[in-house]
Amino acid sequence: MSQMQEELRQKAKELLEKGEVRYIIGWGKGRFHHRPPIFIYQAEDVDKLVWDEYCVANLGKYLLDDKFPEGKIGICVRGCDSRAVVRLVQDKQVKREDVCLIGLPCTGKVDQEGRELVKCRDCMHRNPPVYDIVLGEPVEEKGNPDRFKRVEELEKLSSDEKYEYWSNVFDKCIRCYACRNVCPACNCRECFVDQYRVGWQGKQKNCMQNQIFGLTRAYHIADRCIECGECERVCPVGLPLMELNRKLIKDLNSLFGPYEAGVNPDVKPPLGEYRLEDPEEYM
Amino acid sequence: MRRIGVFVCHCGSNIAATVDVEKVVEAAKTFPGVVYAADNKYTCSEPGQEAIKKAIAEHNLNRVVICSCSPRMHEATFRKTIADAGLNPYLLEIANIREQVSWVHTDKEKATEKAIDLARIAAAKAAKDEELFTSTIPIEKRALVIGGGIAGMQAALDIADAGLQVTLVEKESSIGGKMVMLDKTFPTLDCSACISTPKMVTLSQHPNIELMTYSEVTHVGGYIGNFEVTIKQKAKFVNHDICTGCGLCETKCPAKVTSEFDQGLGKRPAIHKLFAQAVPNKPVIDKNSCLKLTTGKCGICSKICPVGCIDYEDKDKEVTKKFGAIVLATGYELIDWTKLYGEYGGGRYDNIITGLQFERMVNASGPTDGKIVRPSDGKTPKSVLFIKCVGSRDVNKGKSYCSRACCMYTAKHAHQVLEKIPGAKAYVSYMDVRTPGKGYDEFYMRTLEDGAVYVRGRISKIYPEGEKLISLGEDTLSNSNVTLETDLVVLETAMVPNPSAEKTAAMIGVGRDKDGWLQEAHPKLRPVETNTGGVFLAGTCQGPKDIPDTVAQASAAAAKVIGLLYKDELETNPMISKVDPQKCAGCGFCIEVCPYGAIELVDFPDRYQGKKIMRKVAQVNGGLCQGCGACTVSCKPGAIDLLGFTNLQILEEVDALCR
Amino acid sequence: MSLEEQKQVPENWEPTILAFCCNWCTYAGADLAGLNRMKYPENVRILRVPCSSRVNPQFILRAFQKGVDGVLVAGCHPGDCHYVSGNYFTRRRFLLMQRFLEYNGIDPRRFQARWISGAEAGKFRDTMLQLCEEIKELGPNRKLREVK
Repeated sequence: MSQMQEELRQKAKELLEKGEVRYIIGWGKGRFHHRPPIFIYQAEDVDKLVWDEYCVANLGKYLLDDKFPEGKIGICVRGCDSRAVVRLVQDKQVKREDVCLIGLPCTGKVDQEGRELVKCRDCMHRNPPVYDIVLGEPVEEKGNPDRFKRVEELEKLSSDEKYEYWSNVFDKCIRCYACRNVCPACNCRECFVDQYRVGWQGKQKNCMQNQIFGLTRAYHIADRCIECGECERVCPVGLPLMELNRKLIKDLNSLFGPYEAGVNPDVKPPLGEYRLEDPEEYM
Repeated sequence: MRRIGVFVCHCGSNIAATVDVEKVVEAAKTFPGVVYAADNKYTCSEPGQEAIKKAIAEHNLNRVVICSCSPRMHEATFRKTIADAGLNPYLLEIANIREQVSWVHTDKEKATEKAIDLARIAAAKAAKDEELFTSTIPIEKRALVIGGGIAGMQAALDIADAGLQVTLVEKESSIGGKMVMLDKTFPTLDCSACISTPKMVTLSQHPNIELMTYSEVTHVGGYIGNFEVTIKQKAKFVNHDICTGCGLCETKCPAKVTSEFDQGLGKRPAIHKLFAQAVPNKPVIDKNSCLKLTTGKCGICSKICPVGCIDYEDKDKEVTKKFGAIVLATGYELIDWTKLYGEYGGGRYDNIITGLQFERMVNASGPTDGKIVRPSDGKTPKSVLFIKCVGSRDVNKGKSYCSRACCMYTAKHAHQVLEKIPGAKAYVSYMDVRTPGKGYDEFYMRTLEDGAVYVRGRISKIYPEGEKLISLGEDTLSNSNVTLETDLVVLETAMVPNPSAEKTAAMIGVGRDKDGWLQEAHPKLRPVETNTGGVFLAGTCQGPKDIPDTVAQASAAAAKVIGLLYKDELETNPMISKVDPQKCAGCGFCIEVCPYGAIELVDFPDRYQGKKIMRKVAQVNGGLCQGCGACTVSCKPGAIDLLGFTNLQILEEVDALCR
Repeated sequence: MSLEEQKQVPENWEPTILAFCCNWCTYAGADLAGLNRMKYPENVRILRVPCSSRVNPQFILRAFQKGVDGVLVAGCHPGDCHYVSGNYFTRRRFLLMQRFLEYNGIDPRRFQARWISGAEAGKFRDTMLQLCEEIKELGPNRKLREVK
């Protein structure tokens, strides 16, 4: 790990000194175990960059804070960050030529107690699928056959049991919209929840309104979710949001063929296209 | 401030018998924004419409709800009524309380309750109606016809005769298409060339027609009234401005290749006219077979050309032109039977030919000077078998459809064999004989009287034996096996769409059916229109046809083009999608789902973190958008919305429905 | 209210059913059913949309929230879309949405989609009959519903 960190700092220094990037987005030291994002502009600051098992946050979304950059942005990408950037490029929010992706193969991150994070346990792409530079050696992919296990368990419940389960989940939601704010697929200029004039969503905080929000949020990102698990990680009340996202991903795959968002920049999201031979259930 | 007026129609007793109209009126008065409600015996009648106009004036109404029959019936009528009263015609909503209530329900109480609900929903939507305006787009008064066969020629001539400018694009070096390849045409047996070549000449000399042969359409942009089309003129290597068409070069050219026009039965030189009466009657050099262009050695044509019009340096040229309308007349090809019918030898036996090869052979200007001969030895056949439906009406082998023209030209072919070869036998293997056309059945009967032998059943195998071909099959009428021994076998093969149509259709955005034929807008009521405004179909590109039907459809397409181009400008549908550039993030998802290519990303000046920037936002082309609203759902923040059916309106309707 | 209490069906309860109908096919089919005086239950309220692809899945959520007991989205048969391809997008969107709602505890019979052409008045009536029958069997929908 520390050797990679050294390599990263070296590379960052080189990029900054040569002027190939204007600044680099990476992880830095926080007050606790947590590694907050850091923006390095000067070559002499590269030692502030950290690469260890606590570099948890997805960095992709920080690109949206500088959509019209003066010069290239260097950004450290693990598999999930790389997919986030690909999605943002596909959504035309970030120009591919504006970013330099510094790939970092990742073996998973841990929490305070050293336990592997849930989002990393279910990871499908530990190596960045798209990058400009890659550091270190590629790591072995886990393949992850159990990714949909929890979804399958929930599918087995009866209608009422399912509803009860989700009611209990959404009862706790405080509608802070942290899940939306952190999500690299949520890049609308004005989210539907904020459009009070159209009134997609009521302002009240009750279970039903929370549910409408939760369902709509998941459906909106159905074919764009890169499974980085950030929504679930940042949820202050610990809602199992990936169980919703994964259900949609599972169905998209079984209905319209294999698809993983943000892996191949040339593959379009399946809800933006159709095939004549799509499943027919509505005769 | 919304001032909604609600008008409830009795429709005589059609509504009033099942719905308590007075009760609906009373209920309507309580809806939010409603300031006036009244009933009328017949709202669509003159007094009914006058009552609406009067109420609008007296009560200063600015939204109107009419509870009556289906909007599909009288929406246009009532829009005009309120427009006459000075309101924007789109400030109208109709609650369908006849087709959806009084005619389908019997319980008066429940029907009345439902009618009130529908009125409430309509009033809720009306409250959110905004004024909509049609805009106009100018029309380029020039038509493009793609394909120079009989369909394209007829359409071009009709449009040009109406005084409009036409450009005709043909990919071959001469116009004429399939029709000029034919010998005689059924049922009158007039010579095909004699009736089509005068048309070709008229067309080439027409002051309103620009003829572009040896050219292909490579790009189509724009929309109805304003298409921008790029046409590639392939290098001809002969300067047609100087060439006199004397034909000396053709006689001296040493490179001889198989003639496509003669269906492989003859040879042509590399520098060639498509056929003797080609229009324009000037040669082109086929760059794939010319010795000078392939090997650099030769140059005979250049040396002997008396006017020096040969130019080996000639290059493909592209021109872009504007058109107001497009006629697609891309025609057909014949199915490649050799890949499908192994039991007929799959092309291994010389003496099995296609109907079109037979046409070339029997044509006086064809490769055999009009003699019917066996390709293997040049001998005159004493017996000929014609097999119909090869590739047609046969889902296992070819196509499920009937190719329509084959029954008749087979009868003609059989007649020609019997006429030209004294004592010859003509057999026809058939499934059915279909002769619906003027003089068609009479012609078929005449062929039977001439002595043609019709055997009902398919041929299952053909193999050579000595000089003969043995065909095995079944006579389903006598339920017996038949073995036919003939000198020549002619396969009357299925028509399939011209392969070039696929690319052209995709460029223009015209759909194709399961077999690849271009899709008309409606199979019965809009047979020459397509779903792309300003694009029309002529001839066999839409489906198999014979010559009379092709010409009729071409003239119909021309009439549509003339109707369109005679207007100075087009009114656009105001109920189309509209983008809110403030909400739009420019992701372009709407572009993916739009079937009309009506959305594009354009620059939008904005400020971002204190800087002046240009960002991309979606923009809807009012000339192309048809108002389906598929884009609205692809847009998560609802930045693109459908006027007349906005997100807000539908949400209000849903809310009103549940009270 | 617990789910058990919610199961209780009020006396004289009639379901409210919302049908989004494409203007070019199903809406015309409903008109034809009217013209032929075909009878079907009063519970159905039709909202006219230009194309089934105009129907945002969020409208369905809203309907359940506001108290609708069943929703139908009806459009042209595949290949017959007035706008070339709208119903193919509808199909993808709602195949996914239906499964998603089911996963969240909404009985799939409460949200259905059908292809009904302008000529299929009989099919329209039969669909309405079947839908009402199924929703009556299921009872009032209280899931996702706003408490009044």
